[in-house]
Amino acid sequence: MDLQLLTKAVGDLDEPKVLGMLKEFAASNPTAEETAAVVSACQKGMTIVGDLFDAKEYFVGDLIFAGELLSSAIAILKPVMGGEETVNTGKIILATVEGDLHDIGKNIFKSMSEAAGFAVYDLGIDTPPNAFVEKIKEVQPQIVGLSGVLTLALDSMKNTVQAINDAGLRNGVKIIIGGNPVTEEACKMIGADAYTTNAAEGVKICQGWVS
Amino acid sequence: MTDTAALAKEREQLFRDLFSGKTPKRVPVTNPATLEFAIQYYGEDLAEAQWDLTKAESALDKFCHEFPTDTTPIGSIRPPAYYQLLGSKAIVMGSGGFMQHPEVMGMFPEEYDDFIAAPYDFIIETIMPRLYTELDTDPHKKAMVLAKALQAHLDDYAFIGQMRARVNAKYGLVSPAVALTEAPFDFLADFIRSFKGISSDLRRIPDKVSAACEAVLPLMFKKGKLPNTEMLGYSFLPLHMAPYIRNTDFEKFYWPTFKKLVEALAEAGYNVQLFIEHDWMRYLDFLYELPENTIMRFEYGDPRVVAEKLGKKHIISGFYPITLLQTGTREQCIEKAKELLDIMAPYGKYWFQGDKSIISTDKTGNTAKNLRAVLEYVMENGTY
Amino acid sequence: MNSKYYITWEEYKADHPKLEGKPEQAIAPKIQKYEDIMFNFIIGLFL
Repeated sequence: MDLQLLTKAVGDLDEPKVLGMLKEFAASNPTAEETAAVVSACQKGMTIVGDLFDAKEYFVGDLIFAGELLSSAIAILKPVMGGEETVNTGKIILATVEGDLHDIGKNIFKSMSEAAGFAVYDLGIDTPPNAFVEKIKEVQPQIVGLSGVLTLALDSMKNTVQAINDAGLRNGVKIIIGGNPVTEEACKMIGADAYTTNAAEGVKICQGWVS
Repeated sequence: MTDTAALAKEREQLFRDLFSGKTPKRVPVTNPATLEFAIQYYGEDLAEAQWDLTKAESALDKFCHEFPTDTTPIGSIRPPAYYQLLGSKAIVMGSGGFMQHPEVMGMFPEEYDDFIAAPYDFIIETIMPRLYTELDTDPHKKAMVLAKALQAHLDDYAFIGQMRARVNAKYGLVSPAVALTEAPFDFLADFIRSFKGISSDLRRIPDKVSAACEAVLPLMFKKGKLPNTEMLGYSFLPLHMAPYIRNTDFEKFYWPTFKKLVEALAEAGYNVQLFIEHDWMRYLDFLYELPENTIMRFEYGDPRVVAEKLGKKHIISGFYPITLLQTGTREQCIEKAKELLDIMAPYGKYWFQGDKSIISTDKTGNTAKNLRAVLEYVMENGTY
Repeated sequence: MNSKYYITWEEYKADHPKLEGKPEQAIAPKIQKYEDIMFNFIIGLFL
């Protein structure tokens, strides 16, 4: 398996090539270490995708397809992965906030975070503040991600951060907000630690927090 | 003629001039806030007032009285009754009372060939029961569900029409008629294949995407027609997917049938308004090619560049950032309106609209205060 | 439009010969109107 070729193919979003290479690899009875190297090569390819998005050569539709490609890749490799849980980079609780039903951006962030090794607990859409609080108690994540597209989502984000604070959990987590309406001012008003309208940037921020 | 009737006539003339590419007497002004905003602002329950639209009327009346505008501030409200009767998954009321479009998929990739062969039939037979689940039943129940839903739809929209006529008569406002349609690629993406689905289709089955766009083009044209070309109105296309795809994909898949649709509507004598959502700055040269006097309302972009490239040929609108109304001072908000007027008005075909609709109030009350101030400012100072 | 679920007045008239001699100027626009109402309603569910 030419790992560099695999990384390039993932970066190119060349689905037939990637899946072809991986199917051949999985059928060759590889060791767990060899599989780990292949997973790593795929993750490097996803970093290229993120870079091309930053460079405005790829767009949101391409990020979505990249997420699909990665899911298919992991599905092929799962039978030949090591028995142990892969060490994860960190835990993120993620959801679209109360009143808002939009989740495309959230799902892109989720794919990219998982590609970067995070374990993501996705609470879905229209998520009330107490659902975040309960999940934080259960899972003890490093990071909480709040997503929304409607302007009203900003009020819901503020209420959510308030609820986390009231539960005495605010100091134990970093909070990142994402979606069309988020700005620096909104971030201050809401009391989050970071904001982004770019999923790839969001992942980099999260990586910075856990390193 | 009464004062309000004369006012309405004057307003109608503003838009008739604008739509035909003549410079109107002053810049026409549309209040970007909607009936949902008015309902909340005047203290009604949002969910209840959408179910019982009679509860929305006094809010609308006060709204027209207190906020200057040339057009009726209703927006594209979706009364929930018919969606409920249909068991809708496609349009759903969120916990806050807002009707929204979650990501749904009505068609699977292996079904493209059947769709392309007969799209209207496929929609009725296969897609509707998937996204409107009360239709997923025996033919007798299905017929009754459809009858009830259509009745509810017609009743609610008839009431909205009557409510609109009452406030228009009282305040001398105008409501250009609207025929909603979409670019074929957007129609395919929104509810049929979904954002996620079409993003994969572009790479996996591109020929089928192109063929499907061509197959739905006649449906989109028919949907975009008004009862006649003499009435004051326009075909309205909210543009969705283009900012999320590469230039090469736009040129190959989005543009061809989108261009054909706008050209066909213009050729048939209809005005066309595009709501250019998100960022189309890389596609301005394409927009230029559309038929003269296409109305282009921008959510995002550099107004100066857009005006230079498109302002002579087309009717430009939008750009006013409604979030500024929430976060800015009164002076900042008015300054922004002045800035846009200074850039756009010299081209003689500018229509003051927000960059998007204002659907929710804010706790501080800033949005309402600043909105009133800005609308007053543009009404008084919007000269060409 | 080539569909099982949409019919033009001309097609409808051909299918319903008993309407021959009835006041077409009143019937035709009405029959066509409900066909178009249904079309706009259905397509509107996907916009």
